[in-house]
Amino acid sequence: MSLLADLFAGELLDPGYAEAAARRARRAGGAGGPRPRRGRLRGSGVLLVLVLTGVLIAVAGAEVRRGEPVAAEQRSRLVGEIGARTAETDALQRRLGRLRAETERRRAAALARSDAGRRARARLDRAAAAAAAAPAAGEGLVVTLDDAPRADPDAPGAQGHDAPGGRVYDQDLQVLVNGLWAAGAEAIAVNGQRLTATTAIRTAGEAIMVDYRPLARPYEVTALGDPGGLRDAFAGSAADRRLRALKERFGIGYRTRRAPDVRLPAAGPVRLRYAVPREEDGP
Amino acid sequence: MIALIGLLIGVTLGLVLQPDVPLWLQPYLPIAIVAALDAMFGGVRARLEGIFDEKVFVVSFVGNTVVAALIVFLGDKLGVGSQLSTGVVVVLGIRIFSNVAGIRRRLFGA
Repeated sequence: MSLLADLFAGELLDPGYAEAAARRARRAGGAGGPRPRRGRLRGSGVLLVLVLTGVLIAVAGAEVRRGEPVAAEQRSRLVGEIGARTAETDALQRRLGRLRAETERRRAAALARSDAGRRARARLDRAAAAAAAAPAAGEGLVVTLDDAPRADPDAPGAQGHDAPGGRVYDQDLQVLVNGLWAAGAEAIAVNGQRLTATTAIRTAGEAIMVDYRPLARPYEVTALGDPGGLRDAFAGSAADRRLRALKERFGIGYRTRRAPDVRLPAAGPVRLRYAVPREEDGP
Repeated sequence: MIALIGLLIGVTLGLVLQPDVPLWLQPYLPIAIVAALDAMFGGVRARLEGIFDEKVFVVSFVGNTVVAALIVFLGDKLGVGSQLSTGVVVVLGIRIFSNVAGIRRRLFGA
C-alpha cells in the first residue's frame, strides 16, 4: 500500500534522485565546490539508455506492424477454408440426395415385380410417410410465429430494452407443433425443416434449433393436410388459445393462412435402431 | 538535448536495422518499454527539479526493465503471466502518471 500512500501524500515516488542529490551536497560541502564527475564520460550513460529506449520502441512498433498483415492473412485463409469446406459439404449432400433417389428408384422397380413386393411397397410408403423419410406435397396450413416487433429505442417512452417475453420460445413452437399434430396434420415442417416423431425443438443460447439446426425468425410452421379441417380442429385448441394469449399480452406475431400447394422435403437420414436381447437373458 | 538526440538515434537505429526479435523475447518487449518510459520520466522530472543523477538514472532504467521482465517471466512460468503483466503495467503506469504530474507542475506551474 505504500505506493498508493506515497501517491496520495504527493511524495516523490523515486527517492533515489533525492538521496543522490543529498549525498552529492554532503560531499560537495566536504570537498568544496560542486564539479562534474568523470568529465568526458558525462552524459554517455544517459545517451546509451535513451538510444536503447528508442530502439526498444521502434522495434516494438515494427513488430506490431509486421504482425498485422500476418493476422489478416490467417483470417482470410480461414474464411476461405470455411467457404471451401461448406461447398464440399454441399456437393456431398447433393450427391447423397442423387444416390438416395437412385436407390429409391431401383427399390421401387424391384418391388414392382411381384404381388408381395407391391404389398411391401405400399407398406413401405406408408411407413416412410409416417417417418418423414419421403418428401411430401399437397395443400395445408401455414402458421407464422414471430418475435414482437422491437420497440424503437429512440422513441419517447420506449423502455430501452424490448419488453420481456416478446420473444418466441422453443416451448411455444413445441406447443404449436403438438397442436397441429393433434389437429390431424399429416406432415409438419418448421422453416423448411421436416419434423419426425423424434425431432427435437429446443433453445440453444438465443436461437431455436430444430433437429440441431438453428432457425432464424420468423418461424413458419407448415402443416400438411386438409386446410379447412385442420383449421377447424386447431382453432380453439389449447395451443391456439395459448398462442392467442401470447399475441395479446406480449405482442408476438401469430398468423394462420391456407397454402394451396406446399412441398415438404424429407427429413434427414433415418437412423434405424434395433432392440438387441441381452446375452444373459437369452434362451 | 543529448537525451532527445539519443532517443532519435535509437528510433532510427531500430527502424533501419529492424532486428528480428526472437519469439521467447516478444512478451517482454512491451513491458520493457513501459519500464523504460517510467525510468525516462523519472529522469526528466529529476532533471527539472535539479537533482538529476546519471548513475541513478542508468541504474533505475536497468533495474526497472530487468525486474519487470523477471516478474513477467516468473508469471509465465507460474501460469499467471497475463495477470502479472497487468500488475506491472498498472504500477508503472501510476508511477509514470505521477512523474508526468511532477513535470507538469514544474513546467507549467499547474
